[in-house]
This record gives sequence, C-alpha cells and structure tokens, in this order.
Amino acid sequence: MGSPIGGSPSNEAELESFQRQVADRFLDLASVPSDELLSLPWVRKLLDVFLSCQEEFRVILINNKAQVKNPPMDRLIADYNERTVKALDVCNAIRDGIEQIRQWQKLIEIVLCALGGDSNSYQRSLGEGQFRRARKALIDLAIAMLDEKDSGQTVAHRNRSFGRNNNSSSHTKDHHHRSLGHFRSLSWSVSRSWSAARQLQAIGNNLAVPRGNEVLATNGLAMPVYTMGSVLLFVMWALVAAIPCQDRGLQVHFNVPRQFPWSAPILSLHEKILEESKKRDRKNACGLLREIYQMENCTRLLGVLADSVQFPLSEEKGKEVKQRVNELKQVSDAMKEDLEPLEKQVREVFHRIVRSRRA
Amino acid sequence: MEKEKSSSFKGRGGDDKNYGADTTLLPVETSNCSNGKDPPAAEKNETEEAEKPEEKEKDRGGEVEEATPSTQIKYTMEKAWEDIEHFLLKVEADVGSEIPDSINQYLDLVEEKTSKRELPEKSKGCPLPDLDDDWSFLKVAQQMSKLHKHISKIFQLDSSQGPLINRIGRIHQQVMCYLEDEFRALLEESRVVEPDVNQEPAADQCAEPGEGQDQAARSNETLSNFPGYSQEALATLNKTAKEMISGGYEFECCEVYTMTRRNAIEETLNKLGFEKISIDDVQKMQWDALEREIPSWIKAFKACANVYFAGERKLAETVFSDNPSVAKSLFNSLTRVLFLQLLNFAEAVALSKRSTEKLFKFLDIYETLRGNVSNIDSLFPEECAKELNEQLMTACSRIGEMAICIFRDLESSIQSDTGRTQVPGGAVHPLTRYTMNYLKYACDEYKDTLERVYKDHSQIERANSTSQPLDYQGNSQSNDDENQSPFSTHLIKIMDLLDSVLDAKSKHYKDVALSNIFMMNNGRYILQKIKGSPEIREAMGDNWYRKKSYDLRNYHQNYKRETWMKLLGCLNQEGLNVNGKVVKPVLKERFKSFNAMFEEIHKTQSSWVVSDKQMQSELRVSIVGVIIPAYRSFLGRFSGYLTPGRQTEKYIKFQPEDIETYIEELFDGNTASLGRRKT
Repeated sequence: MGSPIGGSPSNEAELESFQRQVADRFLDLASVPSDELLSLPWVRKLLDVFLSCQEEFRVILINNKAQVKNPPMDRLIADYNERTVKALDVCNAIRDGIEQIRQWQKLIEIVLCALGGDSNSYQRSLGEGQFRRARKALIDLAIAMLDEKDSGQTVAHRNRSFGRNNNSSSHTKDHHHRSLGHFRSLSWSVSRSWSAARQLQAIGNNLAVPRGNEVLATNGLAMPVYTMGSVLLFVMWALVAAIPCQDRGLQVHFNVPRQFPWSAPILSLHEKILEESKKRDRKNACGLLREIYQMENCTRLLGVLADSVQFPLSEEKGKEVKQRVNELKQVSDAMKEDLEPLEKQVREVFHRIVRSRRA
Repeated sequence: MEKEKSSSFKGRGGDDKNYGADTTLLPVETSNCSNGKDPPAAEKNETEEAEKPEEKEKDRGGEVEEATPSTQIKYTMEKAWEDIEHFLLKVEADVGSEIPDSINQYLDLVEEKTSKRELPEKSKGCPLPDLDDDWSFLKVAQQMSKLHKHISKIFQLDSSQGPLINRIGRIHQQVMCYLEDEFRALLEESRVVEPDVNQEPAADQCAEPGEGQDQAARSNETLSNFPGYSQEALATLNKTAKEMISGGYEFECCEVYTMTRRNAIEETLNKLGFEKISIDDVQKMQWDALEREIPSWIKAFKACANVYFAGERKLAETVFSDNPSVAKSLFNSLTRVLFLQLLNFAEAVALSKRSTEKLFKFLDIYETLRGNVSNIDSLFPEECAKELNEQLMTACSRIGEMAICIFRDLESSIQSDTGRTQVPGGAVHPLTRYTMNYLKYACDEYKDTLERVYKDHSQIERANSTSQPLDYQGNSQSNDDENQSPFSTHLIKIMDLLDSVLDAKSKHYKDVALSNIFMMNNGRYILQKIKGSPEIREAMGDNWYRKKSYDLRNYHQNYKRETWMKLLGCLNQEGLNVNGKVVKPVLKERFKSFNAMFEEIHKTQSSWVVSDKQMQSELRVSIVGVIIPAYRSFLGRFSGYLTPGRQTEKYIKFQPEDIETYIEELFDGNTASLGRRKT
C-alpha cells in the first residue's frame, strides 16, 4: 500500500513499524469470534492494546524530542493531550460503571443464595419463601440495571411488567417504590451533568488526518499523533459501549480514512459494535458487555420462571430452576474474576495518560 | 464471602447450643414486653382482622387455616412458641414426632402481627418505626429463623409436611422482608442529631498538629455526633442486622446498609459544599473559580479523614458487632470509593495548567493529603490502607511535582526577564520585588511543606535513577558544608540566578557608579527580606548570607571609588607645588574642576534612588567621611593663595558645610538640579 508516512529515512522505519503494530493489534482484536467480542476478556485485551500503543507512541516522542518542541508538532501534541484529559473522565466513569456492576453482583448473590445454587441443604427445600426472596432481588436488579436515561415512568412500567404475574402481598410493591431512588446515585467521579456521549464527541473533536505540509513539517510525526488520537477515541468509545456509565451514547462521528493499515480493523470493530447496539434486545441495554447480556438473559428467564412456579414445585420445574441458577452462577463467577483486574487496568490507563502528559 | 456463607449454613449444628441459651433467655424478655402489651392487642383484633388475611392466604395454606377456628386452646405467641421449642427438642431425637397444632397457630399470629405492622407505615408514609414494637418483632424474627432452620433441616419440601414447610419459608421471608425495610427506614430516618457540618472541627484539628489529647477529646465529641444515630436506634439496628444475618439474609442486610449509607455520606459531602467536578471541567474552569473550590475540597477531605470515616467505621462496627468481618468489608467498600473520588479532585487540579499564583493552593492540597496518611493507616485494614495510601501518595507526588515545576517556572521566568529597560535611578527592580515577595511568602507560610515536597521528590528521583549510588544523599551532604536540604539548594539556585540576571541588568547602566547603586539597592532589598523572615533566612543558610553581605560591601566600595575617588583627585596636592611654590593657575583649575565635578555628581546622583533609609544614610555618612576632611584640609591649605573677594568667591563655591548639605540631598530620586535651584 502507498505509505502515507513521510519523513526522513532514519525515523521512517520507526513510524512505519508503529503503524503496523497498531494495525496488528487491532486485527487481533477484530478477529475474535463474534461471541467473544465485547466480553470482559476482550475489553481487557482492548485496554492492553491501548496501553501498548500509548507506550510505543511515548517512545517515538522521546526519540524525536527536538521535533516535538517545534511547531506545528507542539500544537499537535497539545491537541492530543487535550483529548487524553477528556479520556480521563471516561476512565473514571467506567470505574464507576464497574462499581455499579459490583452492586448488581451483590443482588445476584441474593438470588443465588435464595435459590441455593451451591448449598445442598437448602436446595431440597425450595419453597415459596425462597422464590419470593429471589424475585425481590431480581426486581431490584432489573431496576438497578435500567439505563439511567430511562425516566422514572419507564422504571415503574418495566417494574410492573416484570412482576406481572406476581400476586404476592402488597408489601413487595411498597418495597419497590422505595427502591427507585435507591440505586440512582452510583456515579461518583463525574458531575451529574456529565455525559459520556458528549465526552466522546469532545475527544473526537477536530480529529483530522494531518495535511501534507504538516506531515512534511513534522518529519512524519504528525501521523502517529493522529493514529493515537484515533486509537484513543475508539478505545474510549468501545469502553462506553461496553460498560454502564452516565449518559451513554454511541453516535460519535468516527471517520477514519481507509489509507491506514489499522483503519480496516478499527472500522470493522466499530461497525460490529454498532450493529450489536442496534439489536432489538440490546437497544436499551445499559452496557453491551457480553456478560451483562448474559446476566440480563439469565435473570430475565429466572424472573419469568419465578413468576410462574406453582407450589409444590414439580420436579421438572425444579430442574429448570437449578439449571438457570447454575447458568447465573457461571456468569456471575466469570464476572467476579475479571472485574477487579479490569478496574486495575482502567486505573492504569488513567495513570499512564497522566504520566504521558507530563513527560 | 462464600466461605462465610457456607460456614453459616454448616454451622447450624453448632448453633444448637445457642438455642439452649436462647430458650432460657427468651421467657425473661417475653415477660417484660409481650406479656403486658401484645396478648390483649392480639386478642382484640383477632375476631375482626384475623379473617381477612386468612381469606387471602386460602389458596396457599388453606387447609391449615381452616383448622384454626375449631381449636379450643387460644395460644398467645409466647405460649405457642414454648410449645414449638419443646417440639423442636423432641423432634431432634425422634423425627416421627407429631407436629403440634401450636405451630400453625403461632404462624397465624406471626402473619397477623406482620400484616398489622404494614398498615400504619403505608398510611403515614414512612414514620419512625416504633422502637418498642421493633423489639418484640425482632424476637418474632429470631423465632421464625430458628423455626425455619430447624424444620427445613428435618423435613423435606416434598414430604407430607411440604405445605407447612412452605408456609414457614414464606412467612420467614416476609418477616425478613420487613426487617429489611425497617432496617432501611431506621438507617435513613432515625438520625436524631444532624451532623453539624459547619462546626468544622476537622480543620482546627489539622491546624495544630501534635496536640494529642486535646485533639482526641474534641474529635471524640464530634464522632459521637456523627453519623447521628441515637443509642436506641443503634441498638435496634444492631439487633435487626443480627437477626437478618442469622436468618440467612446477610446479603440483603449489607446491600441496604451500603446503599443508604452511601447516599447519606454523599448528602453530607454536598452539605459541606463539595461537589463532584469532572477532570475536564476542572481544566476548563477559570482559576478564580477553581480556587474557590479548593477550600471546600480541603474541608471535605479533612472531615472525611478525621471524622466521617471514623464515624462510618464505628457505625459499621456497632451495627455489625457480631460480625466484625462484615463490618470491615462494608466499611471498606463504602469509604474506598469515596476516598478515591476525593483524590480524583486533587489529581484533576494537578493536571490543570500551572502558574505561579497557583502554588499556594497546590501546597494547601498537598498538606491536606500528606497530613492524613496516618489516618488512613489507622482506619483501614492493612491491605486496603496500602492501596489507598498508594493512591494518595500518587496524588501527592503529582501535586508536589507541580509545586516543583512552578519553582522551575519561576526560575525560567527570571531567566527570561532580559528587558533592557532600566529602572530609573538604579532603584529596586520589579523582578527583585516580585521574586523576593513570592519566595518570602512561600517560605513564611509553606517552608515545612516545601521541604517535604522536595524531599519526597528527590527520593522518587533517586529511586527512579538506578545510576545513582545508594549513598547519594550522604555524599551530596558531605560535599556541602551547610547540610542543605533539596529545597534550600533550589532556593539558593533561584537566588543566584536572580543575582546573575540583576548583574546583567546592571550592565545596561552606562554609569558604572549607578550600576553599583542598582546592585546595592537590589542586594539590600534581598537581604532585608531574608533578614525579616527566619524561615527563608534558615533556608538560605549563613554562608550565602555572609557572601551576599560581602558583595554588598563591595558594591559600596566600587561606587565610592567610581564617584568620589575621582573627585578626590581634584584635591590632590601633587602638581600644585612647583619648586615649593603654589602654581595658581593649576590651583584655580583644581577648584574649578572640583566644583564642576561636584555639581555634576550632585545633579545626577540626587536623582538616583536609594530607598532603604538606613543604607541611604550609611552611604551619605561614608561619602561625607571621605570628602569633607579632604576638602576641609585642601581649603585650609590652599584657600589663602586665592585673592580674597571676587577670586575666592569664584573658585571656592562650596564651604565644607555646603558640601555636606548637598551630600545629604543625594539618592533622593530628586530630579531638581543644583544649578537650577541656584538660579
């Protein structure tokens, strides 16, 4: 392919290899089977990719210290730094989102505890009480998992439809009224008016392929800056897509020309994720994370089951419940395992960005 | 988590011992409140209300309820429970024991009790729960949990006792549900004492570190005030938590606790004026707006570190006194997030564009962070404390780095001050004033903090550079006679830089004497500032101070030589005597040039400025000391050679006293010249 990268022969190889590396990494990310896309391990891999790209980018800047201080490179770097600061807020919001998922997990623990996935002694006495307990936690979970954009009305509506077959005492309903405000304030690090969608827009603001004279004037260095800007935008966008955070929105203008070796995999990932978000059952999801989807599915099925069981429980239903509970447990365990390292990684991204700004 | 859960399940065998203890306790408690209050109430309502719930429940446990009206014995709850306990003991030995009717009656009564509790709550919104009533209900909860555990251990759901077990499970769940609601309501609404956020005890505490006892007493006072639950409420919370956990509802209990406390803390922080600001917003904010946020943040941070966190911990420990590990994990997860959020603000500020005026607020933040390290260690369990302290130190070192960068900026702004405009009259340069006032303020208010910032930073630097030998600090110290701290070293560097910039500026004056006056003025200003502040004096060290004073004396000497030694040349007797005779034309010439030169000196130098009064008078005195005796003796020796009258008048323009007077007029910044005044 015609290399868009200009520059002196000495650093041409370095810049070329950077472009290749970025491309290879995203090719790797894009080549996962569709059921691994947007899974927790995938998101972690995505963050690893970002960290590696950022590191290589840093080395390039160090190797070209003299250039970096001169115009127009200084301005380009300043632009990039400004984008990264905006990404810091995304990191924080994502961290809040992870914390939120942790809260959901606690509700799932209740369901698992009630329906006794792991305790034999309680397994045999799966009665009305246990189901009510589980159902209550499931309803709380459904409320907690609603996207924040949804108004109170939707909450009430969904809530009612969720417990449609629930002929339990008035007490449970009373409980719901109280829980509505209960889960709201989970965003800790960003102001109430903060919007992930707007932030993404700001990160991508004026992100344009450098003009020929800029490339020449910077000895080709303008290219990696643009590449990192695009990588940053995409990674933040994908994080927001996957993980619940305040005012999510994926309609960011993402226009990467095909001439870069990495544009094909990034665009294909972008497209795949957008497609995923448009699926009927994912439209209103609070995050496209595969595990959230599985969690939603499991808990919904369990909810339907819990609403429909008759007592005494038939053997068949008992088996079904057991199966669903096992599924839920698997999803929950998988999440438990990956959430903490993910949080650490997000923080690492945060710190790395901060450090890169002062280098 | 899982370990605990399973152990609480498995531990049921062991719990049996406790049951024995419970039974002996129960009747005593029961006779206190239930015997007096409950039975009449229960009996009164029985006829009217008991039928309603029964109808509702028909589809579930129909056969059981239908038996109730036909029973002859009317059980009270205590009586029924006594029966049940008896049965539970019996059934332990013999599974075949007949299930007494009292169980169903007891369950009826429990259902009735729970449904009654629901009514007032619904009609009045959420009033404060009646604490007395809570206690009797808590006992019911305890009994239900015990019954539930035992029965479901002994009988299977698919056995003939299925409906009964199902009913027990359902009612138990209901009871637990109520406990959960009450727990929440108590946590949310029973705070009698609103924590007084404006009292700001935390700030005082930090202002005077090192006063142990006094402080502790005061903070204890505040602690009892936060989170503001009454002793009764705390006792009920404790008992409720205990019943929920022993009933297997630990998750629910923790969930409610976390959520309500989280909201409460956030509310408290809002009241303190701390608002969540995103990093991006901080970057966009004008400094004066951001500057206003910083004190609120400091207040909030100190309040959390000194009062609220400890209060939260105590609350968790009080409410979950039977489950210390639960208390610990709840406290951790609650405060950890909050703590990181508070740090986030510091990080955001550290990312803002730096400028010299921001230094002092940055140092305030640094002090706040650094001053609370020990609090973190004492509040959080080791692992968590380690993580939080790491984060705290990261934020700290970023702020510290900013501070150091600001000093470096100061350095480069001094260096780049290369303007050729001269300060008229050789007065103190604005750069000197600005730099000295800035440094003096920094030292007066923040010297210890700055020392710490530099020390921390140099340690980090050292840790980062492997090339440095380990005894780097020792070496650098031994090379230095004054044991300079890293901050002192930088301070001296800045001063020396200022000196060299001033020296370069002094060269812009064409008159060497004036450039010396300029150096004197600035040097004096610097020394006076340093003398006036013990902190900066100490930081600069004796050597530097001595050297600077020496320089100052040199400027003085140079000035005198430049200006007055030349003048003295006119009074030189050499060349006046030729063969023992005074050459009159030469003498006349001498007088003429003396007068002219002095007039010129007076004219220019009275426009020069020496604003330091002491230095001004010292200078004048020293000039007088050089000139007057010489002039006086010159006059004494040679005035007689001039013809009295016109000639004398023409050549001897000044009497020594006149000279003195004129010297007194020097360095006043006065532009009026001698000649002009004479006309």
